[in-house]
Amino acid sequence: MKTPELTACHEMEALLPAYVERSLPTIEAERVAAHLAGCPSCQLQVTQLRALTDDLDAALPEVPRTALRANFMAMLEQQKALLPTAATTAAPTPAPPAKVVSMWPTAVANNWMRIAASIVLIAAGVLLGRQLPWSGGNDNGLATNTNASKAAPAALADALVGDSGRHISASDRIQLVTNSTKVTEPGDATVQVLLNTLNFDPSPNVRLAACEALYRLRDDPRVREGLTNSLPLQTDPNVQIALIDMVVSLRVRRAVPQLERLAKRPDALPVVRAQAEAGIGKLI
Amino acid sequence: MAAVRADDLDQLVPLFERYHGPLFNYLTRLTNDRETSEDLTQTVFERILKYRSSYQPTQPFKAWVYQMARNVHADYWQRKEKLRAADVDEVERTGGLRGAAFSQMRVSSHHDDLHEALALLPTPQREILVLNRFQGFGYEEIGKLLGCTAEAARVKAHRALQALRKIYFAGD
Repeated sequence: MKTPELTACHEMEALLPAYVERSLPTIEAERVAAHLAGCPSCQLQVTQLRALTDDLDAALPEVPRTALRANFMAMLEQQKALLPTAATTAAPTPAPPAKVVSMWPTAVANNWMRIAASIVLIAAGVLLGRQLPWSGGNDNGLATNTNASKAAPAALADALVGDSGRHISASDRIQLVTNSTKVTEPGDATVQVLLNTLNFDPSPNVRLAACEALYRLRDDPRVREGLTNSLPLQTDPNVQIALIDMVVSLRVRRAVPQLERLAKRPDALPVVRAQAEAGIGKLI
Repeated sequence: MAAVRADDLDQLVPLFERYHGPLFNYLTRLTNDRETSEDLTQTVFERILKYRSSYQPTQPFKAWVYQMARNVHADYWQRKEKLRAADVDEVERTGGLRGAAFSQMRVSSHHDDLHEALALLPTPQREILVLNRFQGFGYEEIGKLLGCTAEAARVKAHRALQALRKIYFAGD
């Protein structure tokens, strides 16, 4: 008994998406409308199709992590290095090899940097740790959760480079850097250790963590100075952008000349240069 | 792209900026796996460089790059199937873990149901909806990409929409 109706509904099923989309020829659209008037189940379908279309239109796109861009740039530089020399002489930009080196901790130059960073970090940590007043006799528990015999920044510096040559993984260093500001007050030597980490750590992720930790210590005047000085040293786009955002949000006017230089650097990514330009606009 | 073809590789940067987001989105909808999609997007650009000499300047870059992305996804799918045949348990276990990580990454819970429903569609239907609804492809373009007429693409897209509707409102 219901068969003709079901057949009609079955036929409608193929037409309804086009009906909702308003892409049916007028005659067919009228036929569908006539059927809909007397068919609650097809009406429900239309309501659902409209809701679904709205939800599809409202769906947010998936956004990739910035690592995808970094990986692409590294791959591009590798491919450029493989081009025949005739092509490279046509474009005499000297930067490419340096850029690839900066991204991979295994590169030869970074081993040298690691040693240099170790020395600087230990020296800075020990020196500043000794000079500061709270390294002796302070009882607010600053050093209790590290090593009681060492001042916290010195311990941090030591821990970051590893005792007696032991390798500390990047994720452990991030943990150390992130925790560093939880037990310190603005004005102590941790700022200097973090600035050294920001400038010399081989891993961009550790440098980013140092950036964030320094932002929490932003009341210290050395932070503003240090961030500005760090701008020309950074080659990783993520760190560059983080630094630009920080000098802008801290309103460090002194950073403008560095931003101008960064905006013109041929080896900087277009997105970094644009960010630097935008930062200059906000600061001046 | 013509410049990239002539070994001016820096000209790939603007193309990357323009297409890597949409390609990543397309591949994420197909694989339901962000990490894999990042790898696959990278592979697409590697192949663009590798096969740049095969690019015909008369051809729209968009069509060429999506064709490449489809091939990259198809290769990934084949590898995955082989792996599944070799060690079903292992793949199911890591697949489950990845699925869990994937669902935790969601920022907006409102669209979870929609994405789950999309994930349940067969890949060809999902692909056609993703192209049409998320990537802004017209039926003409879809037809060219899938090797069918625009009218066939339209019928397929409507069937896919109905299939998605049934899954999406299954509980109602």
